[in-house]
Amino acid sequence: MLSMTMEKVKQATLPKEKEVREGSSLLARKQALTFEDVNIYYGTHQAVKNVSFSIPERAITALIGPSGCGKSTFLRSINRMNDTIAGARSTGVIQYDDVNLLGQEINTAALRKEIGMVFQKPNLFAKSIYQNMIHALKFHGITGKDELMYTVEECLRKAALWEEVKDRLHQSALSLSGGQQQRLCIARALALKPNILLLDEPCSALDPISNSKIEDLMIELKEEFTILIVTHNMHQASRISDQTAFFLDGILVEYSETNQLFTNPLKKETEDYITGRFG
Amino acid sequence: MNSRQRDQLATLVFYSIAAGITALLFGLIGYMLYQGFPKLTLDFLTSPSSSFKAGGGIGSQLFNSFYILVLTMLFTIPLGLGGGIYMAEYARDNKLTSTIRTCIEVLASLPSIVIGMFGLLVFVNLTGWGYTMIGGALALTVFNLPVMVRVCEDALRSVPREQKEASLALGLTHWHSIKTVLLPAAFPGILTGAILASGRVFGEAASLLFTAGITTPTLDFGNWNPFDSVSPLNIFRPAETLAVHIWSVNTQGLIPDVRAVADGSAAVLILAVLVFNLLARWIGSLLHKKITAQA
Ligand SMILES: Nc1ncnc2c1ncn2[C@@H]1O[C@H](COP(=O)(O)OP(=O)(O)OP(=O)(O)O)[C@@H](O)[C@H]1O
Ligand SMILES: [Mg+2]
Repeated sequence: MLSMTMEKVKQATLPKEKEVREGSSLLARKQALTFEDVNIYYGTHQAVKNVSFSIPERAITALIGPSGCGKSTFLRSINRMNDTIAGARSTGVIQYDDVNLLGQEINTAALRKEIGMVFQKPNLFAKSIYQNMIHALKFHGITGKDELMYTVEECLRKAALWEEVKDRLHQSALSLSGGQQQRLCIARALALKPNILLLDEPCSALDPISNSKIEDLMIELKEEFTILIVTHNMHQASRISDQTAFFLDGILVEYSETNQLFTNPLKKETEDYITGRFG
Repeated sequence: MNSRQRDQLATLVFYSIAAGITALLFGLIGYMLYQGFPKLTLDFLTSPSSSFKAGGGIGSQLFNSFYILVLTMLFTIPLGLGGGIYMAEYARDNKLTSTIRTCIEVLASLPSIVIGMFGLLVFVNLTGWGYTMIGGALALTVFNLPVMVRVCEDALRSVPREQKEASLALGLTHWHSIKTVLLPAAFPGILTGAILASGRVFGEAASLLFTAGITTPTLDFGNWNPFDSVSPLNIFRPAETLAVHIWSVNTQGLIPDVRAVADGSAAVLILAVLVFNLLARWIGSLLHKKITAQA
């Protein structure tokens, strides 16, 4: 099933030569995504400027930066959610295996199945917990009752939610708490067995306990998935991520190992931001 | 006068305007119901109208009104949904779209008598059908369609953007997202709008005068073969509706009890429209509760 959709994504674009231009230690691992000169515009306003870097597989990469610097815009260009915004336009290359995700021919539905996304606000459907979990699975051709139930349980367990909801799978998903809803959103995204998970400030509306649950969850999930997370919370970035990218006014100012970026930033802007002098 | 007094004065003015409107409305409806109430017997509601003698009813007209409404909705709902989905989800923000939007607005504000004349030209003469139920239903479709497109578009647009993004981000196609996420979420709004539009259609007269006609053949309510000329279900027969009946007895009725028949019909019409409106509210809030409370 998975490889089939992968084929669909691939067929849609011509292979492009891979080019990695990263700092030494990041090069050691296989790269999940490589960005080359990515520019994103809303009409005439340019929100992301000439961004080039790459993120390794099975690791957590954090995107930080002040409000309005283009983090969400950048993240949403990866799974082509910006396509739904009239006037939004991206140029450059986002290399994923051997396809350019920004290619015109990309099958966006197949792409989004492989690159899942969790949004800032939980966005469950007004349906039961179970229906939320299987909604997309059914569309993607998984219809067997046992198979569906198996996936639902597996993913709810992965999202550390199973124990809390196993007796109320058929109740409305909207009756869950905010933290539970967000974990259900993560479980719902995991159910499609994506390769990459994009998270846009997933914890910003949550209490500290839910927050730390989700952080633990992500550290577990990185064994299996590549995770790209936008966060405003500097502590969160330093706690969970392996590398961090700092954006300012649409420009990628600095990208390095999280430890290094937070203890010994190369650029003055980065230092000012992480020490809280602006942003 | 200080600002507090001015504030109080404004409150007073708005309250009295609201009270005035409400009183007028209740007075009007109350008066009509009061006048028509004595006529509201089962016999009046079910027996056919008479041409010369007193004591005729509105049975066929009432049936025609409902039948033509069902036909109209049968045409309007799919077309309105299609148009609404196009306008809300597919139309780009360009010249063509704004032209379409202007056309819809113009169509929505077209005087219904003009639609009646258009219907006469197209559904009566051009087709050669003469005055028919189906011609009336098509004219009403023209009358109702812009409203329905608007209702569907608004209902779809009012679904939070997050819902659509959630669905798309799960790899569902645009059309599948519309079908399984947007339309269910917009359903209460669409249904409420459709019922309100039904009330409007039910009370419409001018566009039917020259399309469905102002007569009804003698109907045999035991004959349900839609192809039989005396069958109530036959769509190729003239079909005077209740609203048209009020107009026709008043202007050309030869019966001695014109006033009573008109009052009774008006009361029935008002009640029906009232029921449509209350139904729309009730079903709307019921669905809203169902959706927000549990799946
Ligand atoms: N739909 C849109 N249309 C036009 N401009 C937009 C749109 N969305 C974002 N922008 C602009 O693009 C720039 C980047 O916005 P973006 O949402 O990516 O920032 P962000 O880094 O995610 O900020 P935050 O931390 O507040 O979420 C901003 O200047 C914003 O005004
Ligand atoms: Mg953002």
